[in-house]
Amino acid sequence: MEQKVLLVDQEKCTGCRQCEMVCSVYHTGASNPSRSRIKVVKWEQVGLYLPMTCNHCEEAYCVEVCPTKACHREPENGHCVVIDKNLCIGCRTCIIACPFGQPFFDHQERVTVKCDYCDGDPQCVAFCNVKAVSFVNADEAHLAKKREAAAKLADLLLKHTKG
Amino acid sequence: MRVYAMIRFNRTVHYKELSIRGELSMEVKSLPPSALRKISKPQQEWKIIIAIYLYLAGMGAGSFIIGMLLHWWRVDLNPLHLSSIEFLGFQLNLIRVPILWGPIMVAIGAPFLILDLGIKWRFFYACLNPRTSWVARGFIILSVFIVLGLVLFVKSLFPSSLDSSLWVILEGIALVFAFATALYTGILLKATKSVPLWNTPLLPILFLTSALSTGSMAIILSVLGTRLISFQSSALKLLMYGEQLFVVIEGIVLYLFLSHTYRISEQGKDSVRLLLTGNLRYIFWQGIVLLGLFFPIVLEWISKAYQNPSLLFFAGISLLTGGFFLRLGVLRAGIKDQIPMQRLIEIRHQMRPTN
Repeated sequence: MEQKVLLVDQEKCTGCRQCEMVCSVYHTGASNPSRSRIKVVKWEQVGLYLPMTCNHCEEAYCVEVCPTKACHREPENGHCVVIDKNLCIGCRTCIIACPFGQPFFDHQERVTVKCDYCDGDPQCVAFCNVKAVSFVNADEAHLAKKREAAAKLADLLLKHTKG
Repeated sequence: MRVYAMIRFNRTVHYKELSIRGELSMEVKSLPPSALRKISKPQQEWKIIIAIYLYLAGMGAGSFIIGMLLHWWRVDLNPLHLSSIEFLGFQLNLIRVPILWGPIMVAIGAPFLILDLGIKWRFFYACLNPRTSWVARGFIILSVFIVLGLVLFVKSLFPSSLDSSLWVILEGIALVFAFATALYTGILLKATKSVPLWNTPLLPILFLTSALSTGSMAIILSVLGTRLISFQSSALKLLMYGEQLFVVIEGIVLYLFLSHTYRISEQGKDSVRLLLTGNLRYIFWQGIVLLGLFFPIVLEWISKAYQNPSLLFFAGISLLTGGFFLRLGVLRAGIKDQIPMQRLIEIRHQMRPTN
């Protein structure tokens, strides 16, 4: 299976927090954003919003520190990192280890939870009105980033030559 | 013709109404961009329960290390006035009890680790996968140490002549595991790489020195509890010198640990600030520095000068409390490195201080 990633366009995000709501409804059945696997970080004063979710890192610290192998990588599921609820003991070491502030402790289920791409159909992507979050092939995401970098470089060069 | 101007503020504007002599004036103040930056908060996952566990495991292991060394060197502490008792028909020898009770403390501390888990009955899942992580290895190290330590403790109660080489090997293994337990309390925190305060090899060393100082003080206290101490006892003098040396080394390591963290990264700096001048300043200055380092040295010095054992008792209690605050302070000041995307956004929008 081809590896897909969640791509966040921070400039499109309006901070409506719809993604948090649908994520929580999909995973827990409750419309409770505090139990969502995606979190929108806000700088309210400047109107900046950044949806943050698991990056499914290649060298994932959460997988390294998990004492029960509950947090593991699933090669058959697009190489994403998931937590097996039936194995998790709720030690919260992964929460402290993750540099992106990601896995969350679900106080009702007493285990740690994280983004699992909703089994291949991320709800945050389906419900984002402004398409700030998209689910694309990893290669495409790289290509988009390269294009962006090239455009910036071109801008800089233009300024330099004009200056 | 009226002109409507639409003004769009991209920053919060504070209006402050001032009424001076009945006149109403308005002061407009805009926040500087650096004030908008998100300040990272300390971790909230591991709290006092883990601190109690770290403390009891460290102190128990430390006292076992010192006790075992005393046992090997055949150092005679002050004899108990009740050297043996009869219990259920057995004659129990209490001479070694004050120096070998460390494993009991570790056995009391270990359940706190389980108490902190989300689903407590699943703790044995961690024991089943020892090679996965430091949490799992810790379960193994602690279990082996508790079992070996308790076996040796029970053995010391029976005045039999079982001093074969097998027991010495067993004592050696127990000593190695006691060191591992004392170091492990630091390694557990170090293994989570994203907290700069914890991710330094100085942390296990700090916890080890603290374990040795609190452990030797625990032995002094337990001897003190059995009989009035005589300051002429050379063994006790040795123990007190050792304990003071460990306290001094602990102070030096603590300084190195904090200065290293302060230099290493921005969040490390935040952690040190939180301890020294922030919300945790009482824990640091009063708990760690005064109770853990300053009072014990001064009180012991005075108690030695005036031959007053009751002051030594207070010095002991103060040092043991300080050891707990050290764990609590280090645990609560753990601030994660900033999320790279947040950092990028703050740099892009000039929300970071210029220095």
